[in-house]
Amino acid sequence: MYHVNEKIINAAKKLGFGDVVVLSHVDDRKQVRFANGEITIAKNWRDTRTEIFVEHDKRVVSTDITTYDEVHILSVLENLMKLTKNMEPREDYYGIAEGPFNYSDIDETFDSKVLEVDPVDKVEEAINATTLDRVAGVLYIDHPQIFVNTSNGVEGSDEGTGIEISVRAFKDDLASGHATYSSRVLSKFKPEIAGEKAGEIARMVEKPVQGDSGKYTVIFDPLAIGNLLSMVGRFTSAMAVEAGFSFLLNKLNNRVASDMFTLRDIGNMPNGYGTRKFDDEGVPTKNTMIIEDGILRTYLLNHSYAKKYGTETTGNAGIVMPRPWNLYVDPGDYPEVEVFDVEKGIYVTNIWYTRFQNYLTGDFSTIPRDGIFLVEKGEIKKSIKNVRISDNIERMLMNIDAIGKEIYQIHWWECEIPVNVPYLRINDVGITRATK
Amino acid sequence: MEDLVEYAISVASNKGVDYAEARYVDKSGTQVSMKNGELQNASILKDSGVGIRVLKDGGMGFSSTNTLNKSEIELAVDVAISMAKSAGKRRNSPVRFSEEDFHEVRYEVNMRKDFTDEGLDTKIDYLKMVDTQVLETGVHVPMRFLSYGDWIERKMFMNTEGAKVESVIPHVEIMYNLVVFEDNKMEQAPFVTYAFTSGLEKIEEEKPWEHAAEDVLALRRLIKEGKAAPEGKLDVVISPEVAGIAVHESVGHPYESDRIFGREAAQAGESFVKPEMLGERIGSDEVTVIEDPTLPNSWGFYLYDDEGVHARPRYLIRNGIITEFLLNREYAYKLGLRSNAAARAVNYNREPIVRMSNTYLAPGDHSFEELIEDVKMGVFIKSFNEWNIDDRRYQQRYIGREAYLIENGKIKNPVRKPILEITTRALWSSVDAVSKDVMFYPGTCGKGEPMQGVPVWMGGAYARLRDIVLRR
Repeated sequence: MYHVNEKIINAAKKLGFGDVVVLSHVDDRKQVRFANGEITIAKNWRDTRTEIFVEHDKRVVSTDITTYDEVHILSVLENLMKLTKNMEPREDYYGIAEGPFNYSDIDETFDSKVLEVDPVDKVEEAINATTLDRVAGVLYIDHPQIFVNTSNGVEGSDEGTGIEISVRAFKDDLASGHATYSSRVLSKFKPEIAGEKAGEIARMVEKPVQGDSGKYTVIFDPLAIGNLLSMVGRFTSAMAVEAGFSFLLNKLNNRVASDMFTLRDIGNMPNGYGTRKFDDEGVPTKNTMIIEDGILRTYLLNHSYAKKYGTETTGNAGIVMPRPWNLYVDPGDYPEVEVFDVEKGIYVTNIWYTRFQNYLTGDFSTIPRDGIFLVEKGEIKKSIKNVRISDNIERMLMNIDAIGKEIYQIHWWECEIPVNVPYLRINDVGITRATK
Repeated sequence: MEDLVEYAISVASNKGVDYAEARYVDKSGTQVSMKNGELQNASILKDSGVGIRVLKDGGMGFSSTNTLNKSEIELAVDVAISMAKSAGKRRNSPVRFSEEDFHEVRYEVNMRKDFTDEGLDTKIDYLKMVDTQVLETGVHVPMRFLSYGDWIERKMFMNTEGAKVESVIPHVEIMYNLVVFEDNKMEQAPFVTYAFTSGLEKIEEEKPWEHAAEDVLALRRLIKEGKAAPEGKLDVVISPEVAGIAVHESVGHPYESDRIFGREAAQAGESFVKPEMLGERIGSDEVTVIEDPTLPNSWGFYLYDDEGVHARPRYLIRNGIITEFLLNREYAYKLGLRSNAAARAVNYNREPIVRMSNTYLAPGDHSFEELIEDVKMGVFIKSFNEWNIDDRRYQQRYIGREAYLIENGKIKNPVRKPILEITTRALWSSVDAVSKDVMFYPGTCGKGEPMQGVPVWMGGAYARLRDIVLRR
C-alpha cells in the first residue's frame, strides 16, 4: 500500500496541505462465536482502508477512503481543503513527528501458523476444558497489516497475527466463570487454560447468597482488575485529561497510587495483543512509565501534545487522541496464595459496566459478575451475589496492598486495551447492594 | 448498488444456501469537535460496503467487504458460505428463521434544513453557540468538550425470500461535556447529547446551547446550595431522562430474546427474564413500557429492520404485565412466533442482532405538579451521571446529577448525588403514578461482538416511586 500512501501524500502536498499522515490498513479477521456449547455464527472480515490526516495552516482535517483511483483521491482531498476554509486555526496544534525512523522487528508478533488454524478446533479445546455443558464465548484470528507514510519523511509497515479466546462457562444460571487467553503466536496460545479456569470458577460457585454492604479487602482476579485498568489507561491520554475525562488532571509528579504500583504502556512488547512497531504518526513505540512507584510520571502523548508540554512524544499517537497500546502492571512480590491470605475479604473474578459519576474526581461504580467469593483466613468460604463496587478510582489505587508475581494478558469484550496484570489486592473497597 | 446486492443474492442462491441476505450500507457525513474553545478536528465520514449472511448446513456465516465489485462480492458470498459450514459443525440443532411477509419498499426521511447543503461553518456555529452561551452564564467552566456529527445512512437490503428494502435516513447530533469549577469543587455534565434522524431543523428547534447553559447554572447551584439527600424511606420522582435509562436497562435489555436464550452470555450477559415469564407481573398497574422504532425523527428510527421485517410498536410491559419480548427471526422461530422487527446492525460489517430502538415509559394521567404535590418527603431526580446494571439486568443504580429535595409537596434545594440502587422488580412495583408528558433522550446502546453501538432514544413520562431508601 506504500504506492497508495505516496500518491495521496503527493496529491495533498500539491494542493497546498502542510502536514500529511496516511495510514493504510489491510485486515483479515475471523471470528467464531459460541453459546450454549454450540457455534452461533462464524464470520470473516476483509477490509482495506486508508486513514488520511491533513493540516493546512493549523486547520486539522481527516477522513478515510476505501477506493483508490486518482480522481477519487483528488476529490476527497479537495473536499478536505474546502473544509479548512471554514475553520479557524487550532492554536494548540504543534505538528507531526519528524522522520524518518528505523523500525526493528518485535519478537512474537507474527506467526504464519496462526493463519492456518481451524478456529473451530480451538473453540472445541476451550469448551471441552471447561467440563461444563453450557459454555459461551468467542475466538478471533487476526491478520492486520499497516502502512504509514507522512509528509515528514516517515515510511513504515508492520504485519502481525493474533489469536485469542474468551470463555464463559455456566454450572447453572447463577454459577458462572469467565477467563480469556490472547497470543500473537500459535505456540503460546492455550485455549484450554481459559476453558479450565472458566469451568473451575463456575464449579466453585455454590448457592450464592446476597452480599452485604460495607468496606472490604478485595482480591481482584487479573480479569477483573484488567477491565478496570483498561479504562484507567484511557484516562492517561493527554486528550482525555484536557477534555475533562480524567481523574489524573493536574497530578503530574504527584502520588496517585500505592508505592507498590507501577503502570507502563509498552507499545513494543513481545506477544502483546496491542503491539505495533510505530504509532499513528510513525514514531517507534516504546516502554513508557506512566505511574512509577505510585507517582504519575507522564500522560500518553503524541508529537503535538508533547511539544505543547515541552517534552518528547511517548509514541502513543492517535493524531487527535493519544492512546495506550499494551498496559502493563509491574509484578509484585506475592505468590498468588499470599494475595489471598486475608482475615476477611472478597474475591472478585470479573467485573463489567464501569461508569463514572465524575471523571475528574474518579467517583465510580462497577459490577462484579461470575463467581464472587467471601474469603476468610485465606480460604474461600462462600459465594455471594448482587453486589457492586462503589468507590473512587484514585482511592482504590492508593489502597493497593498486594500485587502478585505472575502476569496475565487480559483482552476481551470488556477490556478494549490489552492489560498485562497480576492478581491484585486492595483494602477498604466500598461494596454496596440494592436497598429494595 | 442494487445490482451488486442482487448479484450477491443470486450467487448465494445458485450455490445452494438455505438462506442468504445481502445488505449494502453507505454512511457519509461530517464531524467536528471543539475543546475549550479551540476547534480540534473536522472529518469527513465516508464508509460503505456489503455484508452477507447465510444459513447453510445448519450453521450461520457472515462476511463483509468494502471493495465493491462483482468478483469481491462473489468471494464474500463464498466466504460466508464456508463460515456457515464451519459453524454448522458444532450445532445441536440447525439455525432456523421464522416465516415472515416481505416487501419491496423504499422509504426516506426528508430534511427540512438539509445538512448536506450547509457548509462546515454552520455546524461550527452550533458548537460556538454552546461555548458562548455557557461562558455567558458567568459560571466557571474551564473544560468544554463539544462535538457535532451528521451522516446519511443509505441501505439496500435483499434476501432469498423476496425482501427488497431501501432506506435513506439522515442523522444529526450535538454532544457536550462540561466541567464546572466553583468554590474549589467540580461538577460535571458528561456526554450530554441531543440527536435526531432529521435535518438541522430539529437541532435548531431543540437548541442544545440553551440546555448547556441551564446545565452549568444548575451545577453551580448544586455546588453552592446542594445538601445531602435525606435518609430513610421516602418517595422519589424520576424525570423522563431517568425513567428512560431505567426502562432501557431493566426492561428493554432483559426482554431481548437473544439474551434470554444465552446467545450474548459471554459479552453483554443473559437475562433474569425467562420465556415462561410472558404474562407474569413485573410492575404496578401504572407501568407500561413501549419499544417503538417508528417514532418520526427519533434517534432509533427505522420502518424495516435489518432482516427486512416491517417494524411496529412493541409493548414490553402493559399495565405491569410482561407482554412481549424483542425478537429477531432466529428467536421468533424458537418461540413459535413472528419476528417483531428488532434485528439491527450498526454497519455493513456487522451481523444484525436483537436490539432496542426507542424505549419509553408510557404516559399516565397525572401532571408533573400532581406527582410532586402528593410527596411529603422525597427527592426529584432530574438527570443522572453514573449508572449501571448487572448482566442479568436485575440490580441497577442511577446517581442523580441534578436533583432536588421535595418537602410537603414543594420542590426545594438541590441535593447532592442521590443514589437509587434497586432491583428491577422493586423499581417497577414502586411506581404509583406516571405523568401525561413524555420526553426522549438519545443514547448509544452497546451490545454485540464486535461492539455495535446503535442509536436509541430512551425516555417517557415522569414517574413517582413510593417507599424508596436512597443511598448518599
